[in-house]
Amino acid sequence: MMKRLRLLPGCALVAFLLLAAAPAPAPVLADDAKVAVLNPLGQPPPIARVPMAPRLDSLDGKTVYIVDIGFTDTHQFFTEMQKLLGERYPKTKWEVRTKTGTYFDDDPKLWAEIKEKGHAMIMGVGH
Amino acid sequence: MKTYAFKKGMPGFRFTFVPHPITGIPAELCNKYLQGSDPLTGKPVLGEIIDAITRPLSAEDASGGVIERPTPRLVAADTEENLHKLFLENGWTDGLPVVLPTEARVAEMLKGTSHEPDEVVGAMQASSPHEAWSYTVEQVAVNAVMAGAKPEHLPVILAIASMGGTSISTSTTSFAGMVVVNGPVREELKMNSGIGALGPFNHSNAVIGRAWTLISLNLGASGKPGEIYMGSLGNNYNYNNLCFPENEEDLPEGWNPLHVQKGFKPGESVVSTFLGWGFTHPDQSFGKPFHDQIPFWLKFVSPFSSTTLLLDPTIIKQLKENEGFGSKEQLIDWIHKNTKVTVGAWLDDYYAVQNFVLPYGRQGQEPLATWMKMPRDAEIPQFRSPGNINVLSLGGGTNFFWQAGDFGYLASASVDKWR
Repeated sequence: MMKRLRLLPGCALVAFLLLAAAPAPAPVLADDAKVAVLNPLGQPPPIARVPMAPRLDSLDGKTVYIVDIGFTDTHQFFTEMQKLLGERYPKTKWEVRTKTGTYFDDDPKLWAEIKEKGHAMIMGVGH
Repeated sequence: MKTYAFKKGMPGFRFTFVPHPITGIPAELCNKYLQGSDPLTGKPVLGEIIDAITRPLSAEDASGGVIERPTPRLVAADTEENLHKLFLENGWTDGLPVVLPTEARVAEMLKGTSHEPDEVVGAMQASSPHEAWSYTVEQVAVNAVMAGAKPEHLPVILAIASMGGTSISTSTTSFAGMVVVNGPVREELKMNSGIGALGPFNHSNAVIGRAWTLISLNLGASGKPGEIYMGSLGNNYNYNNLCFPENEEDLPEGWNPLHVQKGFKPGESVVSTFLGWGFTHPDQSFGKPFHDQIPFWLKFVSPFSSTTLLLDPTIIKQLKENEGFGSKEQLIDWIHKNTKVTVGAWLDDYYAVQNFVLPYGRQGQEPLATWMKMPRDAEIPQFRSPGNINVLSLGGGTNFFWQAGDFGYLASASVDKWR
């Protein structure tokens, strides 16, 4: 790509005469000269899309798990959710579980239980 | 949440919000939030929950495939003014002016290392659940140029990048990083470990620390407030990560510099990183030995955390000559044995302990499980092991001062490897 450069007025001749003895002075870019710069960003990994689980056509007769990730002193939020959903959807079984460990830890046992006995899961993330 | 779900491969993931935070709020208020509306959408929370589990998926939501996200090597050419604006608006800077990374400047920077520009240096993530971005020597050099560094700084900056730790974690707690340089490279770069070492008085201290921030932002995908970065208050240390060289010259016999403590040879150049939140300047009692004052000063540090003491050479001289500590390790052992917290305070008072420590105690992990069964007035070590306590030499010896903080050691890397 061509860069439009403009030398300082009056300096061109001096620069020419000194070329053999010293490095040429850096050209000064005009205010509207375009500059090419490198991208500062790193390389994100490709994203493997995960097909989402099919939704329920009806809640009646279904078991829906409500999972508390275990952040301190938030369990009451999930039991209130269970209570309210139970009142509005009495034909649905609303099961509250607390994931084991800290919120960084996986809980394969719980996921296996939900896959076996549940039809959907609501997870609460946050604090 | 939307960004996170996208990166996990579910751009159409369904979620709803209630007012925040919910920690410690009574059931009545939880009930009110749940019967209220999502503050972002204005729609009823319970309605959004039911919608999320019953509304049929779109074809896109049910599909698989791969989303590629290549990073172009160059930014579209533009005027300097427009490029500075672009870098600022894209969040590629720390808010301060940067040096634009032209081809010529990056090529000059790359003269600071023998490594090939396309060599992969490492990978970094904003925190453990987030995706890791990878980066090359050239991409690190680009950020070094932006930070105002010179080619001679590049090996230190590459060594920092090679460790893969971000200085700008996603955490709501507002972490900051700390950089400690050891070995001959301190003198080569004319770094300042003396008077005002933590102040804005030295080019190398300034640009090396700043480069870690730019690397974290741009190569480690960290630091997009409200999207990836959730630090509620933020942390001013993020501007240059407390970068300083340890004052090795004033360490008395028996007191090893950090890199030797970590297994490197004294003549090796090494950079180490730490993570924490803050430092405080404790008051002191001149009528009491310095080591006796330390447990009192460390009361503010959570037992979940580590601690780091930044000691002026005058303090270290006192500790060595008048108080009998022949090494850093002796002092660290003394602090570990004599800095205590009651079980009651440990169980109740520390948010971090309840979230990150007690779950492991409940699973039977020792000594946590035993501590949880002890009487509330029993005392336990405030720091889990001597390895959670760090002592560093810093300062110009103008007075008996030091700083205590909650920074924990992360890792060390050879600078020489990146020359």
